[in-house]
Amino acid sequence: MNSFVKAVGVGFISLGLWSSTALAQDSWWKTAAQPYQGATIRGISESTPASKYVEQVLGPKFTEETGIKVEFEATSWDQMYDKAIKDMEANTGIYDFVYIEQDIVYTYLARNFLVDITKSLADNTKIASPDFKPENFTTFLNYFKDPKSGNVMGVPMEAFIKPYLYRKDLFDDPAIQKAYKDSTGADLKPATTHEEYTQIAKFFTEYGADKELWGTTVQASSSHPAAFYEFFESVAPTFGVYNWGIDGTTFAATEANGGQMNSAAAKKALNYWVGLLQYAPPESTSSTWDEVAGTFAAGRAAQGLVYGENAAWIAADESKSTVVGKVGVALPPVEAGVMEAAEAGKGYIGYYDGGAFGIPHSSKNKDASLLFLQYIGQASVQTDWALAGSRIVMNSTYDDPKIVEQDKKMNGYYTLMREDGKLFAGAPPYPFHSQVLQVVAPFIYKAIIGEIKPDDALDQAATAAEAELVKLGYRK
Amino acid sequence: MRQSNIGWLFLAPATLILFVVGFLPFIYILYVGFFDWNTNAVDPTLRWAGLQNYRSLVFDTTFLNSLARTLVFAFFVVISELLLGYILARALMADRLWGRQFFRTIHTLPIVVAPIAVGATWRLLCVPGFGIVPYYLKLWFGIDYNISTNAYHAFGTAIIMDLWHWTPFVTLSLMAGLTALPKEPLEQAQIDGGNKLQIFWYVIVPMLKPVLLTTVFIRLMDALRSVDEIWMLTKGGPAEATRFIGLHIWINVFPKTDYGYGAAMSLLTLYVTIVLSWLLFVAMTGRKGGAQ
Repeated sequence: MNSFVKAVGVGFISLGLWSSTALAQDSWWKTAAQPYQGATIRGISESTPASKYVEQVLGPKFTEETGIKVEFEATSWDQMYDKAIKDMEANTGIYDFVYIEQDIVYTYLARNFLVDITKSLADNTKIASPDFKPENFTTFLNYFKDPKSGNVMGVPMEAFIKPYLYRKDLFDDPAIQKAYKDSTGADLKPATTHEEYTQIAKFFTEYGADKELWGTTVQASSSHPAAFYEFFESVAPTFGVYNWGIDGTTFAATEANGGQMNSAAAKKALNYWVGLLQYAPPESTSSTWDEVAGTFAAGRAAQGLVYGENAAWIAADESKSTVVGKVGVALPPVEAGVMEAAEAGKGYIGYYDGGAFGIPHSSKNKDASLLFLQYIGQASVQTDWALAGSRIVMNSTYDDPKIVEQDKKMNGYYTLMREDGKLFAGAPPYPFHSQVLQVVAPFIYKAIIGEIKPDDALDQAATAAEAELVKLGYRK
Repeated sequence: MRQSNIGWLFLAPATLILFVVGFLPFIYILYVGFFDWNTNAVDPTLRWAGLQNYRSLVFDTTFLNSLARTLVFAFFVVISELLLGYILARALMADRLWGRQFFRTIHTLPIVVAPIAVGATWRLLCVPGFGIVPYYLKLWFGIDYNISTNAYHAFGTAIIMDLWHWTPFVTLSLMAGLTALPKEPLEQAQIDGGNKLQIFWYVIVPMLKPVLLTTVFIRLMDALRSVDEIWMLTKGGPAEATRFIGLHIWINVFPKTDYGYGAAMSLLTLYVTIVLSWLLFVAMTGRKGGAQ
């Protein structure tokens, strides 16, 4: 009887503690949001699985808890930039929070578009959530810090690496392994060098001639910057050409002036990459990152470099992917010496992609937006978000049992990202990102369609890039 | 005098709107065109450049190619749409045509579709690897049709897409014009022994000139500023094969933020458009000046 009374007592106390904690949790957001009740904040982002989760889950949950309505626009990459930049330039205040892709953050910082989140929270502690802790984030947060003050300018919402995906079922098939050995004299395994990669691509293209299967994906749209990005951020680094081949100090692009854009290594890289098109499905020359993921998910390619944001659904979502349970993940193939350089911190082997949400100075609801950004920056919302969008921005998320389970389905993508993420890097810190991109990309397009040879394309691109940098005043 | 004032009063709102949305931006663009202004430059302020932007344009092969490409595109689509539109207009006016009313209704549907949707639809039809157009062209005729690698395929598809979208507009305009033609001159020409070609060339075309002129001007100006359809279909590619002038200006002004140079491009393009329209007007009306 005595023990029964004790047990009931302990039960009530636990219940009381739990409910008071829960109420306190609820009441913090409610209390903090009280002055902004009925406000509407508008955000814009690229339509990615992670963004859609914000639109469909986190936004409505935030509204439920705070009474602040969230209108979220998930649109195409081009449209997002067009709308967000126009809004911030014109200071119209249409958007209260915007997606900042890692590669554009330097432009936004240079143009003073963004609100200093650290300072704003320090200035108004009433809206500083105890659950928002910048130290919880991975080092990816560093990309969104002001280099001068070290203050946070954006709250990371997605981060991925661009790994090498391959069809594990095909690579493990004994009959295919034998055919490959007979054909090439080598064992079939994920490529670690460009020669191996090309050989595998050639083999599978011949093997899949009557199966709608090709040897590789290539993100080689002949009119979309996606081609520029795949070449300069995913392929050229594996040949030891970093930062688009532009010297970050002198802003030289041509080899004659100390740049690398038209170096022998860069030319070898472009020849290799353009050469892969013969082993790629016909849609490759109109493929951006989305189409590459679609091609791989449709089972039309045996291997490819695929943005990590698509890794989860390709590997696990049967409603969208035909290769569920058949996807292997590995590091991209590299030239000799490149891996060692990356491990020594003197280079990188691929692209570390992602983005954050930031608040434009033009926003008319900065405090309400700060609340929202902290809300999505809590550790408690990260796991389900990662499950939906294969994105991880906090160290603790990796250890969550649900993520460990999903990692198995994805053949170790998260493990690869956690352990080898340091080998990848984001875009170079150029405020002239878009300007040089627009000048150089047409030469890459011309190389893709064979209008000019890859070597000539890079010679012309490097000259044009330098001319643009002179015009912009970066290069003297 | 009083009547005149009331007239101006009625015109005032429209004039004011035109002044604000037309004249002021024009002046602003004219002003910006004299500056080197890129918000992503080391010095993001406006720096006086005089006529340098215009001088650069004359030697800018990308710009000149883009302009020439646009003129070729406009020439093909306007001529083709006029011919097709006239044939369709006559066919739809013929009493003997079975299903005339039904066809008249459905053939106008493309006009009401937004250009961006037209571009997206045609892209889905033509995208390499998945589109039904490349699939059946390969299956039936062995043609490797690919708008993302073959410049001619992309350019041709852009023309066909424009024909599909805008020929119905030309058809409707010409039908209206043909319906309104007086019968007497046509009967007189027949009595005088004119054959069909002579009647068409010497009677119908001169009488139809006002409608033809209006239609050609509308279509020409539309064709010269094609952006959204082309953007959805090819994004100006492959490489720069369908980068028409509107798209080229957009790329320079927005992603590249080269406002001064973009403004100069816009003005030069406007100048070319005006000159072209004037030449066309003179050619079609035989007037050398003093528009009435």
